[in-house]
Amino acid sequence: MIRVRGLHLRIGAFALRDLSLDVAQGDYFVLLGPTGSGKTLFIECLCGLLRPDAGSVEIGGRDVTALAPRLRGVGYVPQHQGLFPHLTVEDNIAFPLRSRRLPRAVIGERLAPLVDLLGIGHLLGRWPAHLSGGERQKVALARALAPRPDVLLLDEPVSALDESSRERLCRELRRIHEELHVTTLHVSHSVEEALSTGNRAGVMNDGQVVQAGALTDLLRRPASEFVARFFRTENIIPAEATPLPDGGSELAFAGHRLTIQGKHEGPVTFVIRPESLQVLPTTADSEVTRHASRVTNSVPALLNHVSDRGLYRRLEFDAGLPLIAFSTLPAEAFQAGQSYLVALPAEAIHVLP
Amino acid sequence: MTRRAPTSEAPRGPVAGRRVTLFSIVTVAFLALFLLMVVVLLATDLWYTDAKSFREALASREVLHALWLSVFTSLVSVALIVLFAVPVGYALSRYRFPGHALVEALVDLPIVLPPVVIGLSLLVFFSTEIGQWIQRNWIEFVYSVPGIILCQFLVSASFGIRAAAAAFDSVDRRLEDLALTLGCTRGQAFWRVTLPMARNGIVAGAIVAWAHAVGLFGPLMIFAGTTRMHTEVLATTVQLELSIGRIEVALAVAMIMLAAASVALVLVHALTRSRRGWTT
Repeated sequence: MIRVRGLHLRIGAFALRDLSLDVAQGDYFVLLGPTGSGKTLFIECLCGLLRPDAGSVEIGGRDVTALAPRLRGVGYVPQHQGLFPHLTVEDNIAFPLRSRRLPRAVIGERLAPLVDLLGIGHLLGRWPAHLSGGERQKVALARALAPRPDVLLLDEPVSALDESSRERLCRELRRIHEELHVTTLHVSHSVEEALSTGNRAGVMNDGQVVQAGALTDLLRRPASEFVARFFRTENIIPAEATPLPDGGSELAFAGHRLTIQGKHEGPVTFVIRPESLQVLPTTADSEVTRHASRVTNSVPALLNHVSDRGLYRRLEFDAGLPLIAFSTLPAEAFQAGQSYLVALPAEAIHVLP
Repeated sequence: MTRRAPTSEAPRGPVAGRRVTLFSIVTVAFLALFLLMVVVLLATDLWYTDAKSFREALASREVLHALWLSVFTSLVSVALIVLFAVPVGYALSRYRFPGHALVEALVDLPIVLPPVVIGLSLLVFFSTEIGQWIQRNWIEFVYSVPGIILCQFLVSASFGIRAAAAAFDSVDRRLEDLALTLGCTRGQAFWRVTLPMARNGIVAGAIVAWAHAVGLFGPLMIFAGTTRMHTEVLATTVQLELSIGRIEVALAVAMIMLAAASVALVLVHALTRSRRGWTT
């Protein structure tokens, strides 16, 4: 497990400020954040390559804040992979075991299952310069895992790869984690990567962890507009909330009214993910439309633009303010310039705290 | 390990294919011209000397002693130079401190200084109180074999240091740091990652330094003397034979030096080839 409390580190104009984070034993935790949010600095603090100005770092239940990197029990795969070019793949993987002066027989015993697990047996005699990006990443992973670390730290492990290798390696990471259960902190700027590997995640911004929790929570219940935007929840809508006697609330925005669960009052901002919106056809009868609108918690909106994204269609509506919806229906089902009813299911609406 | 580690992704070294272009013709023409100059010089040397002078030179106890002394002193010097160049080059490459530029300039100074000046300075130093004390209580340098080594070391060390610093510059610092997370102490990281990766550059620097040390004679004549069977090395033999007009013998000795140097260069190349391509 990893437990960080009140970490401070200033480097030039940038600073990690009062950073705290918990990663439970056996978790696969993805730390997300835009470029320049301090993710790499943070991971280097965990490895011990950087000394924090204040705060504490615990790894595997030990306070390692003052320990040298080699004593921390971390397996670190940096963004540049860092394979030693003067050593063959096999010597690279055995490197951390030789540093610890393990007997040759023990090194062999440790290497064999790891090499099998990662499927890199055919690469052992090769030089790093002759490997593909994905192969190199696997070798770096094997090397980090060889000394059986308490935690595995991966800095943007797949971002240098092409899309198909990226997906493949993400699946591999997942599989390896299910096999070894090693506590993993995976740093990334990609939401897709997080969704395909992790079960828990945190979002970093400007040197701080702004939200951490289950991935579904970050996705559906962001704690701030920043997190919502980072997860590409494109519908971020300011509204006026009024509590209703039945325990719910009414949200008013751009002349529309929606009901939601929970008590809210005054000016609020709510978010709803584009894939949660439902697009319904309208009828010419305005009375029917109004009724349908009340029943389905929907707003009438004009479809401005349809773009095909492969797996889904992205629909841009104008409902007094822009609304974005994703639909898996074929593009022919929609016609730009037409009016639709766009339903915002109450359970999918999240009011930002 | 006899296998050869390949170069990093940055394409260096030979280009693929054999297209003859105007450009390739020009570069190869210059190469041919240079080779021609070297070969012509060697040929005229060989033509000028005769077998008799060679036999005479090789039979002479003085020349053989000078040859042995040249090999011995230059090897000791080069060992000392590498011993210094590795830590000094590392410090110059990795650490920034006030006056760094000035220190670099001072380290380079012996490269630009005429070697004779170093011999003269040494002589002056050893005539001072401290110098005299060292002479009496420690090692006698003036007009002695340690003096030869000291001269060679001071004149040639800068080449070794320069090359080592450049070699360490070319090693990715991040790899050194990474080794720390892979169970290494700083010392182990240096020994197992940085030094092997800088090796070729350091060897190249040592070769240059050695070549300088072997060919040195100016400061030796001032500081170490040219006593036959005592402090005479091959480079001074050439100079001495020349000064008494025995050009054939001087050339024959020069040829012996040349042969020894060629053997040494080929040997070093063969030994380091397995890992070539690490440093620029």
